[in-house]
Amino acid sequence: MHNRPRHGWRKVFNGVYLSTLVVALFIAFPLYWMVASAFKTRANVGASPPQYFPNPISTQNFHDAFSTYTFGRYIINSLLVALVATALVLVLGTLAGYALGRLPMRGSFAILVLLLMISVFPPIAVVLPLYALLRDIGWLNSYQALIIPYTAFYLPFAIWILRNYFLAIPHEMEESARIDGASPLRTVWSIILPQAWPGLFTAGIFTFTACWTEFLMALSFNVVNDYRTIPVGIALFGGQFITPYGTLFAASVVAVVPIAVLVFAFRRQVVSGLTAGAVKG
Amino acid sequence: MSTPSVVPAPGTRVAAATQPAGPRRQDDVFRRQQARLGWAFSAPALLVIAAVTIFPIIYAVVMSVSNVSVTGSGISLSGLTASNYSIMVHAAQWRYALFFTVLYTVITVAVEVVLGTCIALVLERLAAGRGWMMALLLVPWSLITVINAQLWGYIYNPTYGIADTIFSHLGLGTPVILGTRVPAIIALMVADIWKTTPFVAIIVLAGLVMLPQDLYEAAEVDGATGWTTFWRITFPLLRPTIALAVLFRVLQAFGLFDLPFVLTNGGPGYSTQSLAVLAYNAMFRDLEFGPGAAVAVSTALLVVLGCVAFLKVFRAQVGRQG
Repeated sequence: MHNRPRHGWRKVFNGVYLSTLVVALFIAFPLYWMVASAFKTRANVGASPPQYFPNPISTQNFHDAFSTYTFGRYIINSLLVALVATALVLVLGTLAGYALGRLPMRGSFAILVLLLMISVFPPIAVVLPLYALLRDIGWLNSYQALIIPYTAFYLPFAIWILRNYFLAIPHEMEESARIDGASPLRTVWSIILPQAWPGLFTAGIFTFTACWTEFLMALSFNVVNDYRTIPVGIALFGGQFITPYGTLFAASVVAVVPIAVLVFAFRRQVVSGLTAGAVKG
Repeated sequence: MSTPSVVPAPGTRVAAATQPAGPRRQDDVFRRQQARLGWAFSAPALLVIAAVTIFPIIYAVVMSVSNVSVTGSGISLSGLTASNYSIMVHAAQWRYALFFTVLYTVITVAVEVVLGTCIALVLERLAAGRGWMMALLLVPWSLITVINAQLWGYIYNPTYGIADTIFSHLGLGTPVILGTRVPAIIALMVADIWKTTPFVAIIVLAGLVMLPQDLYEAAEVDGATGWTTFWRITFPLLRPTIALAVLFRVLQAFGLFDLPFVLTNGGPGYSTQSLAVLAYNAMFRDLEFGPGAAVAVSTALLVVLGCVAFLKVFRAQVGRQG
């Protein structure tokens, strides 16, 4: 019954396609609603009953997001924090993942378990101590207030992903490089890395996405508007009583598109990262 | 290359005892060198992790059992006390937050796993367009949770939200969704289920694709129905994958913060206040550092204990299956 041949109209109008359609509509509708509202005029965003298609189509919201509100600033902050943290995670994670995966370290298994524990640790438990610490060294309201914690919190997961990729690389080339007198760092750089780039991509995309979406620490450590990231900016958009939804969704569309394109382009790596635990566990 | 691998996989011991003394000593020296190199390579990462996660965790635990006072120059601790935990346990807000967080976790994860498995089963049979569906599934997963919260806030808006329009078309009147307790909780769960079910579906689908096909052929020859095939073959083989998805989701759901903080701000009253939101409000809004730290630390402890218990049960189950 798994692949029973179907004929005529049953080929198209069967349960599989109908269910897929229902699922697709359920997922797509809120996304459509966000994009459609971003292109509505201010009056139409608040229309009741709601307008199903934006008419007239207006780009005023996008303009407002960058001029009336400082959304451009939030994008720059988010990009800077996420890119620097991702770079740090990849450099430190590659070295540690290589060491924990391929070098005979005593206690490496205990370290890996500890790292796994840290990666599931709820951040709420460390926000206050970190806040006090950052305050003591005068780092509140700065880029490093987010870069350093993000690096530390997303490193464990990246180390796990990279270690799993490094484990799968055969040892022969590494040995011949050593016999040829290559230094350990050079071996990692020119033998291991070229073979592990899918792992680097996966770890990089996951780290970047995690930094791009993080809210709790960004909200707590950087309270000055100049250092707010996209999630904090979007959460605090407008005032206490009125939420300018049209402008907010225009900003959201701008924030979502780069990640959606990235995830779409590298969906193989993302899926393999999501399922890495499932497959190997 | 005929030389045996010098670097063993982690967890395996190198059997060097039977080798002659010369190479063995050389081997030992080499291994020690390699181990030292390993520590040198992992030191930067481990130091950063220790400084930013382990040290604050210890500090949080200390804070939760101390008299914490706010001074001009920061926070000062004086003397050990159990009063933070006693305040927490006797607070109605904490008991409700614990109840709400557990209820929320159990219901959302159960719904997401059932729905996600159904979606994965459908997509596995999809002949064309599976790549596009996967791409669509990844969008809610990659969406910033804060944006998701604002989006559903707009959908549920009492004056111009589309949810009210849909309800009145269905003849259900126009309920005040975010202003009443039970509808607000359901609304929060729907927003979470929309965002996270695709994640479960992707993981289960990846597990499904790897199941051995010959079992299904054998079942077909034996005349098994689709339902029997699912419960006798698919589900048992899929169980480790589903268990892992459940673990991921439970850990995430228990730390719930972004969604209620933005969508309902814990309200109405404190009816959607999760443990993390309660801890945040205690620490950063009410400046109750001691009790706030107690809530945060006990939440983390529950997560870790739950994780360990789950792994124990899961490992025992896998062991029994052989």
